[in-house]
Amino acid sequence: MILTLLIPIYQTWHEDNVWQKMVAVSSISSKVSIITLVISVLRDDWMMGVVGVIIITVGNAGLMLLAHLLKKIGENDSTQLIINN
Amino acid sequence: MINFLTYFCLISGLIFWLWGTPVLFQKRSILYKLHSLSVADTLGSILIVVGLSLKIPSELPLLILAIISLTIWNTMLGYVLAYSANNQEEKSDG
Repeated sequence: MILTLLIPIYQTWHEDNVWQKMVAVSSISSKVSIITLVISVLRDDWMMGVVGVIIITVGNAGLMLLAHLLKKIGENDSTQLIINN
Repeated sequence: MINFLTYFCLISGLIFWLWGTPVLFQKRSILYKLHSLSVADTLGSILIVVGLSLKIPSELPLLILAIISLTIWNTMLGYVLAYSANNQEEKSDG
């Protein structure tokens, strides 16, 4: 699981295009939440389980807002170059 | 039997993860990456959580909540990313 988590982390560091970065970061968020759930089952510690479920919801919601923000920013021509470089 | 089912779900979920994530390395369009990632992350993660719920049935409510929120949120995030990214690429090409 950790190995598959490293792939999007490397991609986030390596990629320049902001949307490719966003795709990799969304993959990180859902993988981290599942790893948290697996660890909470193995340790039988259910506070961690709740944290894992909260990460699923809030992590994806935050990324959704960020995507909308980037879209609005990208619509201004002046910032278009920044987004696409 | 339960043990076999548990490990079958966990391993098949992990296989989905391993199948869909390396696509990030390829020089592909965002929609292609989003498709394979949504299969890997959403479907693979749900299989893993189903395996976990078979392992410890006492915490079924929490794990069902995890499955529901995974299904809803991952799908919506994939749609929003596809919509936003696609809009940008059309504008920068146009």
